[in-house]
Amino acid sequence: MTALAHLGARINVTRPLRRWLMDRVKTRRGDAPLPFEFEYRHIYVMPTAFGTAFGIMLILMALGGLNFNNNMALLLVFVLGMIAQLTTLLAYRNHAGLRLDAISAEPVFCGEPAHFSLFLSNPEQRPRFAIQAAFSAAQDCRDIAPNSAAGLTLHQRTRRRGWAELKPFKIENRYPLGLFRAWSWYFPAAKCLVYPEPANDPPPLPVTGAGHTGRAVKGDGEQLHGLREYRLGDSLKRVAWRTSARHDALYTREMETPRQEACELNWDLLSGFDTEQRLSILTSWVLLAERHQLSFSLELPGKHLPADRGADHSAACLEALALYGL
Amino acid sequence: MSSTTRQKSMYWVIAALGIALVPQISTMPPHMIVICLAPLLWRLAAEIRGWRAPHSAVRVTLTLILVAVLIFTYGGLIGRRTAVSLLSLMLCLKLLETFRVRDARIVTSLSLFLCATQFLFSQGILMIFYTVGTTVTALIAIALLQRREAFQPVGDAPPSGHSMFTELRFTLRLLAMALPAALAVFLLFPRWSSPLWGVPENALDARSGLSESMTPGSIQGLFMDDSPAFRADFEGNLPSQRELYWRGPVFWKFDGQTWASDYLDRSYPANIQPRLEDAQWRYRVQLEPHEQRWIFALDYPAMRPRGTKMEMDYQLTSAHPITKLVSYNMASDPEFVDSPTLRSAFRRAALELPADFNPRTLEMMRFWREETPDDVQLIRRVLRWFNQEEFRYTLNPELLSRHSVDEFLFQTRSGFCEHYASAFTVMMRMAGIPARVVTGYQGGWFNELGGYVLVRQSDAHAWSEVWLPEDGWTRIDPTAAVAPERIDRGAFEALGGRRYALDFQWMRVMRNGFDLVQRRWNDWVIAFNADRQSRLFEPLGIRNLSTGQLVALMLSAALVISALMLPFILRMRVSRKPDPVVRAWHVFRQRLKRSGLDLEPGMAPMELAAFAGSQMRQSAREIQRIATLYRDIRYADHQRRANEFIRAVKMFRPTENLS
Repeated sequence: MTALAHLGARINVTRPLRRWLMDRVKTRRGDAPLPFEFEYRHIYVMPTAFGTAFGIMLILMALGGLNFNNNMALLLVFVLGMIAQLTTLLAYRNHAGLRLDAISAEPVFCGEPAHFSLFLSNPEQRPRFAIQAAFSAAQDCRDIAPNSAAGLTLHQRTRRRGWAELKPFKIENRYPLGLFRAWSWYFPAAKCLVYPEPANDPPPLPVTGAGHTGRAVKGDGEQLHGLREYRLGDSLKRVAWRTSARHDALYTREMETPRQEACELNWDLLSGFDTEQRLSILTSWVLLAERHQLSFSLELPGKHLPADRGADHSAACLEALALYGL
Repeated sequence: MSSTTRQKSMYWVIAALGIALVPQISTMPPHMIVICLAPLLWRLAAEIRGWRAPHSAVRVTLTLILVAVLIFTYGGLIGRRTAVSLLSLMLCLKLLETFRVRDARIVTSLSLFLCATQFLFSQGILMIFYTVGTTVTALIAIALLQRREAFQPVGDAPPSGHSMFTELRFTLRLLAMALPAALAVFLLFPRWSSPLWGVPENALDARSGLSESMTPGSIQGLFMDDSPAFRADFEGNLPSQRELYWRGPVFWKFDGQTWASDYLDRSYPANIQPRLEDAQWRYRVQLEPHEQRWIFALDYPAMRPRGTKMEMDYQLTSAHPITKLVSYNMASDPEFVDSPTLRSAFRRAALELPADFNPRTLEMMRFWREETPDDVQLIRRVLRWFNQEEFRYTLNPELLSRHSVDEFLFQTRSGFCEHYASAFTVMMRMAGIPARVVTGYQGGWFNELGGYVLVRQSDAHAWSEVWLPEDGWTRIDPTAAVAPERIDRGAFEALGGRRYALDFQWMRVMRNGFDLVQRRWNDWVIAFNADRQSRLFEPLGIRNLSTGQLVALMLSAALVISALMLPFILRMRVSRKPDPVVRAWHVFRQRLKRSGLDLEPGMAPMELAAFAGSQMRQSAREIQRIATLYRDIRYADHQRRANEFIRAVKMFRPTENLS
């Protein structure tokens, strides 16, 4: 079995053949916008390594049975063979009709793997078992209940900043006995934003303005941070009466005191570094500034992001850094 | 594939191997049973306790030692039993390192292989249960292994696998779906008319049955054996119980202890054979494998099945040992006169006795001979003597030593057919009448359900034949003089009472009913071969199908049957026990929908509650409560409140109807 697996692996690496096959699959498939339903013509079924070994064992058993005209052995072989043949259908059926609804990925920093979430839904009245997402080896596996959906995650390494495209991947299963594998290729148009890798040891943050740095202090500040459910001990003054009236529960306002510093992150401050290093340092500055809840602006050649704070602002800055010059 | 997870799939793997081992283990000597079962039990304990695989050096050493023990036990003979025992042992030892899916799959698949090897030894109907048991367990193990492997990238156990019952039902349905097509393939798959490689002779275990020599007391074990020896299906008239003498090996040579047949050249064929036209009984015999060459027929066989020889004492022998079920047509002529004249060589052989044995008997016979010169009168006198003296018929006679006939006739006076046949034959020879011992079976049980005669090993019998001028060889059964009921009703019935604790009349009746099923199984499945296959379509007027035609037929039959099964297959699914909470939520939504609410599929619980509450003001409170409970259970993991939620849904009836 190991030998077979090795052989299989070697065949897989036979690049030209593989590329030719993939090209054929791709041309046959054409553009496949989401949502995409897997139909019979997208699904391939082939024996697994275990299936092949099991088949060889059945053949040996059949030869013995034929030679000794041992009818019970032959019956056993034929029943097992027919069950194996049945499982091709079951594997196919476990796959057919699944729908790939969406692919999404949160931005990551270069060097971290990009996590693509595939949203697979099962619009039918029967459960799907052990559906896997894979590039070459399976990376995630889920059962999908009738009329529901599941998210499968594919991890892909990132090497460069900018947009990382999701490689073609497979949705596959070996249900029920693992003798056969049913799979389909999908050629996605999904992308993941890859921020530059933050510099390891960046120069200190170019802080302007006064005061100490640090986290914003939650508590009795002036600025509304959010609402949460009322807990015993919360001051009645801080109950959001109007909101509470609309619900069945009491809500308390959470307040915070923001810090009053600001900094300017400027491309020109880093004249001694090359482009990628500059981007890295700027990225880590953005992260630092965000952590300390500083208001900051970003100045890149040809792009200016005015001073602001908050997650959206940081994301916009990081995106500008990720896509700089691309 | 590398994680060493502890999961229930492993229990099924162990169970599959355990079941597959049953028939093999039952033939092993006790120490081999222990050796085979120990790794199995260790692995079971390892699964429960979470032990790891022993070091590879330990495993290798253990394997070498145990294989050596096995070879020593079986004496290095490479027979089928030894080979299969080796396979069993290796599989058990393999369990010691079976912690990964790959190894577990190997063990499970080879358990199925082991199951197939067992058919070399028996294809009895009980093997069906064994096979179904092994197959179902192995398939469940394989399915669970597949699930375990699939979820390995996620890094943990598969979520809430199916219940055992669901797995079982699924597997049984798989079997049921596969069976029709498998049967079609079984019938049509081209068979080989002759084996490609030889069937090793004496490959089977020594089976119970008659042997090539007879020492009085030796077939005693046979009387306890109720397994079928053969069955005979009579056409037309049925012989009476007293006429059912099934001829087996004939013995000429006596060395004082043992009767043997090797005195004469066995290749001597019978020069005059009974004519088929004179045959009174025509029947078909289905002979169970017994590892010997002889086949059985009533006196005197008027047919010679293909591949057999009729020897000069009308014993039928096959060219090869009977290692599998055979059927043959037979006819018998009881009126046939065997050897009206006796050749001098045969006469000498039929009178020879070892010197200095049994002096007392010799003296008595000389005396009687002088008094009764007529052969027939003398035979009557001896039989009368047996009948009138205190002879007992028993299956547990006392042991005899050197002058076995003297001791039997004058001291112990207890024995069964072998003792009587042997003593009588010796007495005849002493009186100068040519005599020989015939062994075989006497009687048989007429199965009214199936309309055939079943002859069991326990019907084994021995009798004498004496040569009389003009009448030729004549059958004399001295046992009948002592215990006539033995001939009328069979060996153990003659004794009255039970042979062992569980020997009841109703059990014998059940056994006989069971034998009918066994016989049908033999007829339809075990005896199916290339010849029967070629005649499969004879009723349709199709003869001699070629291999190509068979293959074409087989493929089309498999296709058609698969197509017919398709709707069932496509409807087939394992219904995982649905989450009761999800189901209750579904019911809740259905109730709202039925009362006219237009719910959208993607509504979150609280969203749904707000919307439904605004539409149905009277039920708003209850709707809110149910939705909050559901939210808490699903998102805040308040599983303890699941019952409360389900009860709330059950009680919930919308008071308004919007439609």
